[in-house]
Amino acid sequence: MQNPLRRLALKGALVCALAAALNPAVAEQPVLRVSAIPDEAPTELQRKFAPLGKYLEQETGMKVSFVPVSDYAAVVESLATKKLDLAWLGGFTFVQAKIRTNGTALPIVQREEDAKFTSKFVTADPAIKSFADLKGKTFAFGSPSSTSGHLMPRFFLQQAGVSPDKDFHNVAFSGAHDATVAFVAAGKADAGVLNASVWDKLVEQKKVDAGKVRVFATTPPYFDYNWTVRGDLDPALVKKLTEAFLKLDAKNPAHAEIMQLQCASKFIPTRRENYDGIEQAAKSAGLLK
Amino acid sequence: MSAAAPLRDPAARGRVTVLLLGLAVLWPLLVVAKFRPAALFDAQNLRTVGGFLAGFLPPETGGEFLGYLLRATLETLAIATAGIALAFALAVPLALLTTRALAVAEIGPGPGRRRSRLVFHALRALLTVLRGIPELVWALVFVRVFGLGPAAGVLALALTYGGMLAKVYAEILDAGDARPARAILAAGGGRLPALLYGLLPGAAQELTSYTVYRWECAVRASVVMGFVGAGGLGQLMDQAMKMLNGGEASTILLAFLALVLAADRLSGALRRRLGEAGTRGAAAGVGAAGGTFVLAVAAAVAASFAFLELGFGVLLTRESAALVGDFVAAFLPPDLTPAWLAKVGYGAVETLAISAVGTLLAVGGGFALALPAAGRYGAAAERTTRFALNALRSVPELVWATITALSVGLGPFAGVLALALHTAGVLGRLFAEALQNAPTQPRDALIEAGARPAVAFLYGTLPEVLPQLAAYTLYRWEMNIRMAAILGFVGAGGLGQLLYFELSLFNYAQASTVIAAMLLLSIAVDAASAGLRRRLAG
Repeated sequence: MQNPLRRLALKGALVCALAAALNPAVAEQPVLRVSAIPDEAPTELQRKFAPLGKYLEQETGMKVSFVPVSDYAAVVESLATKKLDLAWLGGFTFVQAKIRTNGTALPIVQREEDAKFTSKFVTADPAIKSFADLKGKTFAFGSPSSTSGHLMPRFFLQQAGVSPDKDFHNVAFSGAHDATVAFVAAGKADAGVLNASVWDKLVEQKKVDAGKVRVFATTPPYFDYNWTVRGDLDPALVKKLTEAFLKLDAKNPAHAEIMQLQCASKFIPTRRENYDGIEQAAKSAGLLK
Repeated sequence: MSAAAPLRDPAARGRVTVLLLGLAVLWPLLVVAKFRPAALFDAQNLRTVGGFLAGFLPPETGGEFLGYLLRATLETLAIATAGIALAFALAVPLALLTTRALAVAEIGPGPGRRRSRLVFHALRALLTVLRGIPELVWALVFVRVFGLGPAAGVLALALTYGGMLAKVYAEILDAGDARPARAILAAGGGRLPALLYGLLPGAAQELTSYTVYRWECAVRASVVMGFVGAGGLGQLMDQAMKMLNGGEASTILLAFLALVLAADRLSGALRRRLGEAGTRGAAAGVGAAGGTFVLAVAAAVAASFAFLELGFGVLLTRESAALVGDFVAAFLPPDLTPAWLAKVGYGAVETLAISAVGTLLAVGGGFALALPAAGRYGAAAERTTRFALNALRSVPELVWATITALSVGLGPFAGVLALALHTAGVLGRLFAEALQNAPTQPRDALIEAGARPAVAFLYGTLPEVLPQLAAYTLYRWEMNIRMAAILGFVGAGGLGQLLYFELSLFNYAQASTVIAAMLLLSIAVDAASAGLRRRLAG
């Protein structure tokens, strides 16, 4: 049909030319690269971030680009390899990020709610009333990297004398909080655990049949989510970002949409030491070596 | 029916013995795979699945969603095209270095013979590693190194398909007439002229045809990679299935089917034209059509790279090279402590069991559907079963896994069923074709001699097609072992689940043991299957 050599040469030359042409070292405006751990559907996260992104563009004068992703660990690794500047992390993913950046990853702010966060254990099985009833059942966590969907519930289960690996018939990872509820409602898992704030939202939006799925236990409070910057980001920019978050006020009509989508009443400063407890829990649960 | 008595199946006893022996071997596998068919028919489970499938109608048609869908479809196409382009660039040099047809050392003893043998075997081993690790695993690892987005998928395709293309290119070149190339080499010509004037004229058509076929496979593969976050349709599908959003799932599935069908048609048409050109001799040179084809391919590749905004350029900086180095170093050495090896060993057995039981179920189901699909029971039955087979094989295993997990719960059995459903569609179609192509004379002769149809089938038709059916089955089993390793990512147990968990916790030393186990398992299955096929052929 054609001379294969010419095709080969043409194709080769094109690949090389393109590889050179697409080198993105030509960005004109500085870009703030932001992502978030996919504890909810990435499309949902993208939708939730849109107004906050616009606000941060105004405050910093930079172009803000949000990269949706469906793997928790990819967010941590991207922060460590400097492919992200700012990320919405959970408590456990922050600890992982701190370790993978030799302690430089810096949490700047968190929602007021995140300082006393809880997880809800849910079931659709009328026979399950306490942790003891879970033995021999199928149980769904969220993502293995999730604080409120895996680490802290596992830690508190162990404190209560239940070992997920030994006592449950099958341990499944649904991947995300809303997925856990869907699994439990569909009978895919006998019980599951998820972040209290997502549960409240699902109940409020009537996305869960409250007559069918119910909460049978709640964890004690712990520190969770925060916004983290990579350690070597320009301190002036870090200051600008921190102040921008702290200025947000749910009562201010201009901020109402942002705060409602973030499920936040206000943002408060946070620091690395707040997450030492999570690190201890991860070590004792065997999720951190 | 006194005449029928002596015509009873004389080998019946042997067949039953083999069947029972087979079951005895199979039993432990069934146990490991948590085989519980009763769960399928549990009333509560049937209701759940019914409710979920009912949610497929009507398909989601909201404007915002369709926008996402269009972008994801383009992204899937672009990932496949860019991935194949890079795989091609990788495969050509590797194939040239590993084909025997161009090996100077093959001509006779010479000074560099030993060293070139060493290089040859080292490169063949490299190809095995590239092919043996599923593209999904590469993607999962690359998402970490190269950051978020489709770049990971493109590179994963480039490596796995580069390995496959290089192997098949080398085989095609080996199978061709090596004499012209040898003559050029023996006369002192270089490798390049030997390739251009000695090998390519005979092999170009087959090489191009195989590349086009692989592109079609890459479209399917890039959908699957989306399930680990490499973008495209798979990512949307993963979310819709996780949220049990039936309406969105059915729209995505329809888009996926349309895409696969279009790729299939395009690839088929291109290959037909190549075949025609090959038989027309003079027309095979560079003509207007050939030039247009080259330009179209080049434009498609360029558009794909531009659309994906890959930016591999950042990889070339010293800083990121150091980061990639650190990342790779974290995988070494693999964790070889006895406790971890035992866990990985059990995961490997589980994966093996899922693949073996799933493939066997598919053979049964595929064969049962192939009989009517081959037109043995009338045209209406043929059309209906052909449609059913197409539907079964069009839905990717990972999507089947989501549905079967709903029905029997998360775990290995869901993986078995998912593999069985998809593979039954593939094998059923191949079996039906083999049955249709089988010569009818032996069977007709037996029927005329008074044999019952079942016996005539067993002795007249089955012996004709059995080696082919067995070869197809073994070939699918090789593919299914890789898929079984992957199904763990959506909760079907085995090595995939271990790998996903360890990667999530950044336990790279443990993860690299799991990847090594996947590789070994896939090499072992390839070898076992190749050995069995040789015995069948011989």
